[in-house]
Formats: sequence, C-alpha cells, structure tokens
Amino acid sequence: MELHILEHSLKVASIAKEGIQICTHGLIKLAFLPSKTRCKFFSLTETPEDYTIIVDEDGFKELPESEYLSVAEATWLALNVVSGGGNATSSQPIGVTKIAKSVIAPLADHNISVFMLSTYQTDFILVRERDLPMVMHTLSSEFTLLRVVNGEAVAANSTGVTNGFVKPKLGNHLPRPIIHPLSSPSNMFCVTSLDPDTLPSVATLLMDVMFYSGGAKETGGQSEDSGHIRFFSFSLIEGYISLVMDEQTTRRFPNNVLFTSASGELWKMVRIGGQPLGFDECGIVAQISEPLATADIPAYYISTFKFDHALVPEENIQSVIGALRTNESTGQ
Amino acid sequence: MSSGYKPDILWSPHHADRYVICDTELSLYRIGPAGSPETKAGALPLSEQTAATLLAINSDTPYMKCVAWYPKHEPECLLAVGQANGRVVLTSLGQSHNSKCKELVGKEFVPKHARQCNTLAWNPVDSNWLAAGLDKHRADFSVLIWDISSKFSPEAVPAEKVRLSGDVDSGLVVTKPLYELGQNDACLSLCWLPRDHQKLLLAGMHRNLAIFDLRNTSQKTFVNTKAIQGVTVDPHFQDRVASFFEGQVAIWDLRKFEKPVFTLTEQPKPLTKVAWCPTRMGLLATLTRDSNIIRLYDMQHTPMPFGDEVEPTIIERSVQPCSESIISSFAWHPSAQNRMVVVSPNRVMNDFTVFERISLAWSSTTALMWACGRHLYECTEDAGQGAAAAEKDIATKMRERAQSHYGHDTVQVWRNHVLAGGDDPQLRSLWYTLHFMKQYTENVEQKQQSNKQSLIYSGIKNIVKSSSGTTETRRCWSGSDRQTDVPRYHSEERSLALQLCGWISRGPDIDVEPFLKSLEQEGEWERAAAVALFNLDIRRAIQILNKGASAEKGDLNLNVVAMALSGYTDEKNSLWREMCSSLRLQLKKPYLCIMFAFLTSEPGTYDAVLYESRVAVRDRVAFACMFLNDAQLPRYIDKLTYEMKEAGNLEGILLTGLTKDGVDLMESYVDRTGDVQTASFCMLKGSPGEVLKDPRVQCWIENYRNLLDAWRFWHKRAEFDIHRSKLDPSSKPLPQVFVSCNFCGKSISYSCSAIPHQGRGFSQYGVSGSPTKSKVTSCPGCRKPLPRCALCLMNMGTPVSSCPGTGKADEKADLTRDKKLAQFNNWFTWCHNCRHGGHAGHMLSWFRDHSECPVSACTCKCMQLDTTGNLVPSDSV
Repeated sequence: MELHILEHSLKVASIAKEGIQICTHGLIKLAFLPSKTRCKFFSLTETPEDYTIIVDEDGFKELPESEYLSVAEATWLALNVVSGGGNATSSQPIGVTKIAKSVIAPLADHNISVFMLSTYQTDFILVRERDLPMVMHTLSSEFTLLRVVNGEAVAANSTGVTNGFVKPKLGNHLPRPIIHPLSSPSNMFCVTSLDPDTLPSVATLLMDVMFYSGGAKETGGQSEDSGHIRFFSFSLIEGYISLVMDEQTTRRFPNNVLFTSASGELWKMVRIGGQPLGFDECGIVAQISEPLATADIPAYYISTFKFDHALVPEENIQSVIGALRTNESTGQ
Repeated sequence: MSSGYKPDILWSPHHADRYVICDTELSLYRIGPAGSPETKAGALPLSEQTAATLLAINSDTPYMKCVAWYPKHEPECLLAVGQANGRVVLTSLGQSHNSKCKELVGKEFVPKHARQCNTLAWNPVDSNWLAAGLDKHRADFSVLIWDISSKFSPEAVPAEKVRLSGDVDSGLVVTKPLYELGQNDACLSLCWLPRDHQKLLLAGMHRNLAIFDLRNTSQKTFVNTKAIQGVTVDPHFQDRVASFFEGQVAIWDLRKFEKPVFTLTEQPKPLTKVAWCPTRMGLLATLTRDSNIIRLYDMQHTPMPFGDEVEPTIIERSVQPCSESIISSFAWHPSAQNRMVVVSPNRVMNDFTVFERISLAWSSTTALMWACGRHLYECTEDAGQGAAAAEKDIATKMRERAQSHYGHDTVQVWRNHVLAGGDDPQLRSLWYTLHFMKQYTENVEQKQQSNKQSLIYSGIKNIVKSSSGTTETRRCWSGSDRQTDVPRYHSEERSLALQLCGWISRGPDIDVEPFLKSLEQEGEWERAAAVALFNLDIRRAIQILNKGASAEKGDLNLNVVAMALSGYTDEKNSLWREMCSSLRLQLKKPYLCIMFAFLTSEPGTYDAVLYESRVAVRDRVAFACMFLNDAQLPRYIDKLTYEMKEAGNLEGILLTGLTKDGVDLMESYVDRTGDVQTASFCMLKGSPGEVLKDPRVQCWIENYRNLLDAWRFWHKRAEFDIHRSKLDPSSKPLPQVFVSCNFCGKSISYSCSAIPHQGRGFSQYGVSGSPTKSKVTSCPGCRKPLPRCALCLMNMGTPVSSCPGTGKADEKADLTRDKKLAQFNNWFTWCHNCRHGGHAGHMLSWFRDHSECPVSACTCKCMQLDTTGNLVPSDSV
C-alpha cells in the first residue's frame, strides 16, 4: 500500500451562517470557476451551525478577512491511501472502514489528531503539518510513503522522530471507548458526483442549495423537526467534484446529471459531539471507525469545524448505533 | 470546458471510405471523389479531389465522452460509446435493423458507481471484450472489462434498490463486468497489447503506467510517470508505445519498461491527440490544443534500446492541413498512405495527405535516385543526343575518358587530347604544350646527360624572364627586296619559346615551313596564312589563302582576302592602310583580323594582335616572342599569365609550365570544371619535388582515385596507380601484408626478398619450375613446412597443379597477363574469420560454386563476409 502525502497546504476555516454573504463571491469562484484560480483543493460543508471550508493556500486568498471567518491556526496536509491499483480481491469494506485499522488507529495511538474528509472518489486524512514527521514515523512500517512534489510522487523518508508518547499497548483489542455523545438525524443522504462539464448547467441550483438553504422555501414546507438535519457538502479536489446532500435535495437535480451507484444506495448519518470538538483531541475518528471496521460496515466520514459526521448505509444504521452504544457504555 | 464538445473523428476499421464524427451526436460520413455521380448535391468538399456525404446521424447517446469502433467485420458499424456517467452503450449507425447487430445495439454496461468514462478499447482478438477506463471512485474499480455477449443478470440489482437508475427495465443492462482492475485510482487511457491480447496497458491518475495480465490480475508491471494520457501502441512495432502528458510525449519500449526510451520536445500547449500512422512505419502525429498544425515525428530509424546511450535522431515536421482554422481532431486513414482527415471545432472537415519527405541521392555515375513514399524514381542523363556532348556532365566525360585510356599515352603526349574526345580546344592546347615540353626535355637530356636543366616544364614565363643576348634584326619581306621597318628579336630563349609554341621544331634555324604544312593539312588556312605573314612571307601567305579558297568546301572569300593582302604597301598614308585598319574590324575570322592589324600597326605597338582573345594563346605568345622587345615581352607575358590563371584557361599552361603558377592555374580550372582527371594526369608530369607535393595536387589525385573506385573502375585505378608510381616513385605504397611462419613467426617474404634479383614478396611463390630457384614450401627461416592448401592438401609454395602456364616452356616469355594470373593462382589466401585458406586459384574456383568454407566441418560463409567480393568491376579489362 502506498500513502501519498499531497502537496496542498490546507487551511480549515469556519464561516458563520450570518456572515456567508460576504464570502459568496470567493466561494462561487472557488467552486464553479476553477480556471480563474490556482486552487486545487476546495471543500465546503454546510452544517446547521456553520460553513466549514477546507481550502489550499491559493484558494484561501480568495476569502476576505472578516469577523465571521474563523480559521484553525494550523496548516494541514492531506494524506491519501493508494492501494497501488493492483489487488482485485479486497473490495467490499469501503471508505473510512478500509483505512481505519491501518491509518486511523495507529495515528490515534500516537496521539496525532486527524481531520477526515471523505469524498465520492476517495478519503483524505488531514494532519497538521507539524505532526508530519511523527505521522511518517508511525506509518512507515505499513506503507510506502510517497510525497507529491510538482505533481510527481517521490519517495519520502521517515526521519525517525517520535513525539514522546510510547505506543500504548491496547493490544488485547480492548474497544476504544466512545467519549462524545452521538445522534442520528432522520434524513437520508446521497454521496454523489457529477461530470465537471455539466457543472455550469447546475451551477445556479447548487448555489441555491449552498447559500439559500435557510430561506423560506425550504423551511416553509416542513417544520424543523428535531430529527432532520441540514447538511450539504461540496468539494472540488484536483478536478473531481464530490457532493453529499440529503435525498430531498437530489430530487431537485435534473435526471442523469448526478452520478449514482447502480444500486442507488442511501446513507444515514451519525453525528458526533455535543460540544464543539476542537482540533486537539485525538482518537475521535478511531472511536467510530474501528467498531465499524470490525463489523465490516462501509462508512464515509466528514469532519467539520465543530462536529464530526459519519455516513453509514441506511440498512446498517441500527447495527451501527448498536455497536457504538455498546462502546459508549463500556467507556463510561 | 464550458465551450462544449469538440468533435473527434474515427475511421471505420474496415471501410476505407467511412468515418464517424462524434461530438454531441454521431455522424457517419462516406468519403468519395468530388464531383462523381455518387456524391450527390449536399456533399461536403474535403479537398480538391474528395468530398464527404453524410450517411446517418445518431443522437441516441447523450453525454458522450469516448467512442470505440468494433474491430471485426461483422457486425459492421457497431460503436461503443462511453458516457459521462460511466455507462457504456453499444450503438450503431446507418444499419438496417436486421443483422446480428440488432440484439447488441442499445445494450448498456453500467458500473457500480457512476463516474466519467475516459476511454474505451476493444480487444483486438477476443472482440467480445470491451475495456472501459473510468474516473476513480473510493470504492470501485477504474477499469472494467465487459463481455458484450453477456446476458442481463437480474440478481445483480435487487429490485428494491432500484431507485435512481432509470432504464433498467429494458433488459439490456449489464452490471457485472468480466474483470475489474485498478482500485482507488482513475484510468485515463488504456490499450490492449497486440503482442498478447490478454494484456492490457493502463495509464492511471496516480502517475503510473501499468501492464496487467488478465490471467493473473494480481501481478502487474508498472512504472511511475507523468505521461499517462493517450497510451497508444505503434502498429508497426508492437513493443513501442507512446503516451503523453500536457505538452510532452514519451516513447516507451515495453521490453525495457523502466523509463521512456526518449521524450519528444515539449510543446507549449497541452496535447490533445497522439496517433501512430498505420500506413507508415514509425511516424507519429501529435496535435496540441487550439493549434492549426499537426506535428509529425519520423522515428523510422530510431535505434531501439540497444543503442541506449545514443540520442535518437527524429525528424520533426509540421503540417498545416487547413490553413485558416484550428484543428479539433484528426484521424489517419487506415489504408491510404499518409492520409488523414482533420476536423475543426465547427465541424469543417479536410481530407489531407501528408507529403512524404523526398530524399535523393546521386549515383557515382550521373544517375539520380529519389524516393518519395513508397515510390523510387531514377533519373539518368539523356545520352541520346550526340549534339549535346558539349553539355555532358564532367563526370560523364571523365568516365568516358577513363575508359578510352585518356592520359596514359606517354609517348605521343599530344594524342591524349584525341583520347579525351578531341573536341576541347583547351585540352588540345594543354596536351600539345606538354608534348612540346616533353620533346624539349628529351632533347636537352640527350645533349647534356649530366646537367638537367630546371627550365624544363617551367613555361615561357620563366624562360623569357631569363632572356639575355637578344639580337634585333630587320628582315626583308621574303620574295621582295623591300626592307621592312619591323624589328624582329632573336635569342636562345625566344626560339625555345617558339618551339614550345609549336611554331618551329628543334634546331637552331627558325623554319616555320613544317608547321605551315601541318596547318595546311588540317585546313587551318587563316591561321597558316597569319603565321606565314608574321614570318614576313606575304607571298606564302597569299599562296596559302588561295589554296584554302580552292580546297574542298573552301571559303572563296579567302581569295578576296589574298587580293587585299597583295595590295600591301608600307606607305604610311595610303588609302590601303586607311581602309584596312578600319575595315579589318568587320572581319569575322580572328586570324584574318590580326593579319591586317599587324600590317597596319606601328612597329612595337601590336595590341590589336596581342589582345585578340579569339586567337590561340600559343600564337599570340609566339608572335610576342618575335616582335616585342625585352622590356615589353615579360610585361605582356605576365599580364597574359595573370589572365589565364584568373580564367583557369589551360592554354595558359604554356606560360606557367608545371610550376606553382601552373598549379594555381589548374586550381582555378578545377574550380571551374571539376575535371580532376586532367589535373591529375597533367600534374603528375611535373617535377616530383615541388609540384607533386603541393597538397592541392595530392588532393586531385586522391579524388580522382576515389572517383575511379566509386565507378568500380578498379582496373583503371590500378592502371592509374601504376602510371603514377612510374612518374612519382614516392607514391608507391609500402607492402602492407606480410605472411609470417606459424612456427618461428618470421616473415617468409622477408627471407625471400633477401635473395638478390628476386622481386617483392609473393610474386616468387610457386614459380617453381626453374631449377635455379629452391622450392619454397617451407619457411626460409626455420625450415618448417608452410600450411597446406585446404583443397589440394599440398603445402603452400607448391604450384597449382591444374594451372598451365607455369611450366618451363613459359619461363622465357614475358610477363603476359596469363602468366601474371597464373602467379596469382599460386599465391595463398585465407579467410580472416575462420583462418582457413589455400591457393588463391583453388579458393576462387571453390567459391564460384560454394558459399561455405572448403574445410569440412567449418561452416564459415567466408565469401559472404567479403562485402566487396560480390561486387563486379564495371571496367572489365
């Protein structure tokens, strides 16, 4: 297995809902006019609390300075696991599940905080730039580490730095306790993508979904019942578009524009955290993904500025909740 | 991206006249000659000769990303279309709904997770297999190989999950691929390897090219590279693959897959298409975005990996199929050589044939060969017209002259101009000059054996410079007692000069009568008359003119001239003088003109004679030697010499002789004509010390020898070398091959040549009939026997048994050609490869019928190793 350390230097920011209008110009440019910027990595996730932006340095210049914009202080690097293309056998457990044991758990064991971004195409594991030597040290045994420089992957050598934490011997497969409260909204989600060529034709619709969700049209129909959550994610990373939206929103798109899986799978969300999680605590992703990996349940995982979100197949939601609750109880 | 789809173009693999343009829809065109009844109105002109007719349009498949044409004959015109959502749809164009095609058309192959289909490729052998390369998905494969004959599999899609996929109900949807390859990566391009149809070359997003074998998909060979777009296999060289990235094309050799064999020069704009020409070996066409030119790379002779370190030579060209518009895409015609159709973004099409580079080569004879495409043309000089002889190329002339032994007549030197064809006045003058010079040399040699004069071959310029003791005489006109006032000068040097001019023969007395006789014989009446006149014999001149007028085909006007001449008066102010000096300019014949110029000139001022360029140099010089004084003569000669040198006129050799001046003159002659042959033969006669050492002379000689070799005139070249070594002993080559004894290592020819009165080396071997000579079958050094001939098994040194002409009877005879040959038969020869050999004669006759070495169990193909052995001289003696 190869672990690519991508060359993007990323910023994670949050835009308060009431301040979104001052940022729309920059966001529209980043999302729909990729040829006008040098940005290669852009992600926007709307949650009920705020908008979370993950963007590289070139893209960050497009955003104005504002009191509504809060930026996590660190610079982040994206890691990407590449299976090397070859082995046709290991197919089913997809997404975060696949890398839970090989990447996320070891990083958690070494007290390295991670920030996850799953897309339609792949999973990105964001780590702080300053943690990189430690990350490389931790993962060099499992992976061929390659650093992407000017678009070409070159071998990266671990420098053998440790952060002083001795690898905790959780060896007996003691389940990682789940610390934060979980909730599961009632609506179902689609993880999808679209052809960049057709992006202009749905741009206005996407803008509507991104920025005007709080409008009367949406809220008028159905009152904010407690089980329903507003969640939308758009990312444009190295030319690939990925979308996460709830099922109702997908119906607003014309036929054949969104990429759908042949089975038409839908996903339910597990939301992690009662208080904003912050960036320093480690092991949150591991707490969720390890039980799922053990149960062989595929999952997506999207971290935002305040909370984390895992997406699991709708038919598995009960067993997921069950599995996680078990851990929760043992942890407390 | 928002500019919409750019049209691409695809040729039918089997119908040479059909192609498809695909942008938002598929349009089938037929190409035909413009203006033919088949191409009806509405046909789109593609070029001056061809036009395209639209046959069918198919707009059933939206969101097209890539198209591939089914490679087999049946069903024809079956197309696979890859869509933006990853589905692959089979469709057809212009087909009646009957054939096999029917059940396939409309069939869809749907990946588990939708994403763009980047590329499609039909397996060239197992034509049911269709490989599709898709963008990446986190949980799906990027390469799916579909079997188009597989049936709809309902169990793959549980009914309750069918929500977002639209038309599964048609029963034509296939969701289970035959093979899945490449996880968590995108496939940007792929192709099947023609060498092994189970192998697939993929180019992925994570910057690698990988070769998969479908029989064992867990194993792959791969290489990291940026060049991952548009992989395509050279149809003529199945291990050669081109791939590109942005503006750069990399050429790979699959047998040595670690790095590209080479990369082509980077283009400033990204490439959009790279295609090997299917009809021409090693020709790659590339197109960049928004460009109106197609760049061609000819790598026909590129050394493949063995010549790793050598920078390959690639000829780069660009063509502009349609001058005004940019090109959206192009496609090579599958069978017509170097032909392509290009299409512009607004679907303007153009039929275009890349013109092949023309390469041409001169043969060593005057033929010219040129090659263009698959055609080879030979042009030869038209030898039909005899009149055109003067315009013949100098190489042709030299060839002809070499065949007629030009330059080899060393006795009658003047005859060489006849051997040269006898039609070149300069050569005639040259060889006469050399003849007279030689005559004189011999004369001098006879007189004073010991003291060789250095004047010889040194030309009149030097001779008259050293002139001394000039006497002046005033003679009467012969036959009259009238005293002339024309002074005439005499000296030893002047009469030598006259000899060299050919006016007088050797001897002290100045008698031009023999010369006049010979001119009369040749019918040069005017010249003879002029020479007679200059010798102050008007009567003789008139007599000659009369003779000329009455001769066969004689010019009656000569009588008139004779009459005019007879009226000569030395009265200064006579009417005769006045009329003659003005009317003479109208005379066409130069010699007549100078006769009157002489008669009407003041003594000492003969410019009208001396600078009449139509008169032969030798005559003017002779005239000058008679009538110019010691001050005027060298000045005139110098001036004339300078003129001759400038013009490269061989008549000037008379003045310069074979000196450094002569070499200068010859240099400008060679510069003007390229006639190294004449230059070589002429200069060989010069003094060995100075002239022959001149690098220019050596250069001419070497060039002439090379020329003879190139014409395969090997015998002529040998003759020339012999001729040369006689005149220039220093040019004799030293012996280059020695035969050493196997036992003592000494040269056997060395011991041989130590015996007095025996010639060099090998000519002595085998001449064993003579009792005075010891048989040389053993090494003269150590007495051990020499090797045996592989054919007669006799020790070398014994004569060839079957060869007559070495017996006693011939011993006294001269070295005839037979004899020489017989001697060569006795010489031994061997193969440098297998080291077997024997008597040359035996070997020659053996290899006339065999190609292998005569030694049993030796399979050396000795004769074929001799590259020149199979060439035939073109001047068989």
